[in-house]
Formats: sequence, C-alpha cells, structure tokens
Amino acid sequence: MPLAALATVNDQSVRSAVIRLADEFPDLGPRSIVLVVRTCREELRGSPDGALPELVERLARQRLRVSLP
Amino acid sequence: MGYVDVTGIRHTLPDGRVLLDDVNFRVGDGVRAALVGENGAGKTTLLRLIAGDLTAEAGSVARVGGLGVMRQFIGSVRDDTTVQRFLVDLSPPAVREAWEAVEATELALMETDEEPAQMAYAAALAHWGDAGGYDAEVTWDTVAVAALGVPYERCKYRELSTLSGGEQKRLALEALLRGPDEVLLLDEPDNYLDVPGKRWLEERLLETRKTVLFVSHDRELLARVADRVVTVEGGTAWVHGGDFAGYHDARTARHDRLAELRRRWDEEHQRLIDLVRTLQQQAANSPDMASRYSAMQTRLAKFEAAGPPPDRPPEQKVAMRLRGGRTGVRAVMAEQLELTGLMQPFDAEIWYGDRVGVLGANGAGKSHFLRLLAGQDVAHTGECRLGARVVPGFFAQTHAHAAWQDRTPVDLLWHGEPGRPGVDRGRAMAALRRYGLAEQGDQPFRTLSGGQQARFQILLLELSGATLLLLDEPTDNLDVLSAEALEEALAAFDGTVLAVTHDRWFARSFERFLVFGADGRVYESAEPVFEETRVQRAR
Repeated sequence: MPLAALATVNDQSVRSAVIRLADEFPDLGPRSIVLVVRTCREELRGSPDGALPELVERLARQRLRVSLP
Repeated sequence: MGYVDVTGIRHTLPDGRVLLDDVNFRVGDGVRAALVGENGAGKTTLLRLIAGDLTAEAGSVARVGGLGVMRQFIGSVRDDTTVQRFLVDLSPPAVREAWEAVEATELALMETDEEPAQMAYAAALAHWGDAGGYDAEVTWDTVAVAALGVPYERCKYRELSTLSGGEQKRLALEALLRGPDEVLLLDEPDNYLDVPGKRWLEERLLETRKTVLFVSHDRELLARVADRVVTVEGGTAWVHGGDFAGYHDARTARHDRLAELRRRWDEEHQRLIDLVRTLQQQAANSPDMASRYSAMQTRLAKFEAAGPPPDRPPEQKVAMRLRGGRTGVRAVMAEQLELTGLMQPFDAEIWYGDRVGVLGANGAGKSHFLRLLAGQDVAHTGECRLGARVVPGFFAQTHAHAAWQDRTPVDLLWHGEPGRPGVDRGRAMAALRRYGLAEQGDQPFRTLSGGQQARFQILLLELSGATLLLLDEPTDNLDVLSAEALEEALAAFDGTVLAVTHDRWFARSFERFLVFGADGRVYESAEPVFEETRVQRAR
C-alpha cells in the first residue's frame, strides 16, 4: 500500500474530515477546523494511504474536543 | 536462496539421557530432504532445534533465507485459535511483530482516545505496511480461497477447531508454500490428508523451488518427493544422498560398515589389552621390559581415550506374530447392506484368506462398516454375517480408546477382556519386548506416541486369537519400519484381513478392494482406487 502524499486541497482525508467535523463542532469556525485537520494530516503523513482518512479525522476530533471550553 | 546447516548438535533430555549427539548435516538450496527415523528417535526434537524453539546444548544451526515451520499439532488444533491468528503465526517474524503491535494499539484505542494512543496506532499501521503486512494480507486471501474456498475477510475470525484436520493442514501448507520463507520445516505434513490431498501435496512439493525438510512416514510421499533422506537413529543423524528408492540398501550398507569398524576396534582393543598383560608379566621378571610395559600401557590408554567408533544402531525389533486360524470358506457375507444415512445398499462376499483394502474418501462410512463387522452397534439395514469360526479383532484409530488413557500396557494385558485372556507380568513384558514396547510397559497409554499406541493395539490383536482382522488406518502413526513389520505379519497371518487405509504403499499389498464411492455407491475393484472425493450429502 503506498504511503500518503503531502496534503493538497484535493486530499480526501482532509476534505471528508473537514466536512464531518464542521457538522460536529458548529461552534468552531471553519478556518480553525481546517487548520487542525491539516496539521493532523501533516503529522500523520507516514501512515498507510487507506487508513489515513480515519486516522486524520479521529485525531482532529480529539484535538477539537480538547480545545472546547 | 535458502539452506540449513546443522553442525555438532547435542541435546540432552530432562532425565539426563542424551537424545542427539554430534548431529551434522546440510540441506542445500532447493533440496527436498526427508527426515525419517523410528517413533521417538528425536525427529521432532531435531526440527524444534533447527526452528530455534529449543536451544542445543552444543553445536549450532545456520539458517539462511527465512524459515517457515509447520508443526506436528496442526491438524488437531482444538483451542480457540482463529484463522487470522493461525496465518499470522505462520508468517515471518517481522510481520508477526508488526501485527502484535497493531493489535495492542487497537486495544489501547478502545480504552482511550487520547492523542498518544492515536499516534501509536498510526505508527503501528505504518510499521505494518513497512513490514509487508498488506502484502501478507493479499497472500492470505489467496491462501484462504485455495484452502477453504472463501475469501480471507469471510473466514479470518473463524475458529480453526471448526476446520477438519485436512483443512488445517492445507491452510498451513498453502500459506507456507506461497509465503516468502525460503526454507520450510514440515512435521508430518501429510497426516490428516486423504489420497487426493496427499497427491496435491506431492505436486506442490515437487513444484516448489524452496528448500524443504519434512518428516513423513508415508512411503509413497517419500518415494515421490524426497531427493535426500536424513535418518535420525542411534542418537545421531546421517544423510543418504539419493532418493528413497535406494535408501534401504544405503542404510543396510551403512549399518554393515559401522559393525565392521566396531568389530575391528574391538579386536585391536583386545590385542592391546593382551599385550599389556604379557608385558606386565615379563616386566615382573625382567627390569629391561619395564619401559616397554609402560609404553604399551600409555598406548592402550590413548586408544581407549579416543573411544570406539559409533556402534551399529540397534535394529528396531518388532516381531508381530498374528497367527489367526482356519475359518469357514465364507468369512463375511453382506446382502443389501446399507449403513443408514451413509451408503447405498451393497452386496459383498469375502472369503477366508482374502486381503481386502477398504478405500474411499473421509466420511464415506468405511470405519462404520468395520465397526459393524466387529460387532459394535451401527445403524444399518440389510444383512451382514460372519462365517463359521470367524473371530473379529478390531484395530481402531489411536484416539478411540478413552478408557485406556490412564491405564498401562502391562495392566491392560494383565486384566484381559472378553475373548482375550489376561497374562502375567512376565509374559506381558515378553510380548511387549517383541513389539519394541518393553520400556513403555508401565507408562500410561496416553503418554505413548501414536506409533507405540498402534503397535500395542496390534499386540492385543495377536493375543485375542482373531481370525478376521479389521484394521482402521493401522499405518497412520507407524514409522516406516513398523509399517513393514505389520505388512510381513499380515502376509503370514492365517485368516482374513479387511483394512481401511489412505496409505497407498500399504494398500498395494492387498488383493481386493472395496471402494466407498463419492456417489454413495460401494463397489469392488481389482486395483486400488484413490480418486474418490468427499461424499456429497445433503445432511
């Protein structure tokens, strides 16, 4: 399985995570969600391609949850 | 490229006995070597030493090319091991370790969603990919389809205990033969396989370019596949560099050579002792001879310190005396006999002195037929009669004696049973000695090896005075020499023999064949028929 490439605008693991997390965290602005998701994507860049969307979304969700007051 | 190099291996049993000493051999690249020897000679121990499960007391094992191991217990797994776990365990160490890490981090993630747990899981997945885990999963899918007919995703959580012995063996063999390891150690790979399964195994072993060291008692498999024969006997191992066809002659020649070398050593030893004695007397009378006496003493001491050459290995003494006796001309008559729910009605007449092989795939009802003839309660319609003076003696598969498990052979012989009078300890031990079981006389039956249990059952047949032998897979656990002893004993037996067998070599010693077909028909054949596949029943 190829390893994940660097994040791009079309990166499915970023796009799907942003859409779902925006629904889950309506109080947070879209820009902060995109930032967190892209950071997670960058940190997980060595992960297998197939597992990346789930890993990114899960990690981003945890970080967003912690950031809530 | 893969090979195994064994140098100077020594292994001592917990009771202090030296099982193996000075074992040296090499299985070179692409070689298919058979490992043979008597039951209990140390074949499995040697495989475990090569696999690294045991550490040798002395010597070393060099393994190159990745080692895949199929252990003896595969085929009889009854615990909760899943197909997935089983395939992981057959994989190279790097894949196993990566899988363990993924499992551990997945479990941790179920407990907590904290960031470190998530990062550890991501790292474990990355490592799984790096270690070739995804490639392994692709192979496992091919393996599952080939062995079980279903994709890996559909069977990975299935327990191995729900598979037949043959399916377990097939799964392991497919995984190892398709896997990346270049050296395979296979401990009795043919056990539990029916004849089509054995033929498949032979073809695959002949095709593979891997290096294979396998233990087997199946003479047909040995003859077709092995291009080297490593023999474990006399506490060490030696290699016959040819195939199994020339093995017996090579073994006899080796034994004769060892006996000759030992005889020469004994003669030289005696000559030196005599010389020392003579010089001792002369030195007592003449001081001039004292120095020669001393020199001869030194020479004798050096000779003895160097030790004798290895002795000829003791021949396995298995002397089976199946006597039998004259019976009516018709020994067995079956008229429209139907084993309920198993086979269609059939007629059969078996005559006094006949040697009948009962062939067919597993599950066809062959063992039920034998049990019915043995007088056991088997549901049937139609008629089945034994002739005048026909006394059946039944050899069941070795695991079929639950009541014997904690009793010793001497105890079982002493008490006797209906149709077999008990014998005193002296006679019991003499009989056990003839079957190579003297040392096991006071061991519980369950601690005997499969081959020893089989030999003991044949001894019971001998003592029972049976005139009709009903043998259910008698050679399954017998080593090659014991199987040959059984064939000789059956040839000399005065009576009738019916034997269920998947052993093609053994089957060829029979004259008639009763074949339990895949279509539910029972028919007679003058030649052995091994092509019958598993019976298809809507039950």
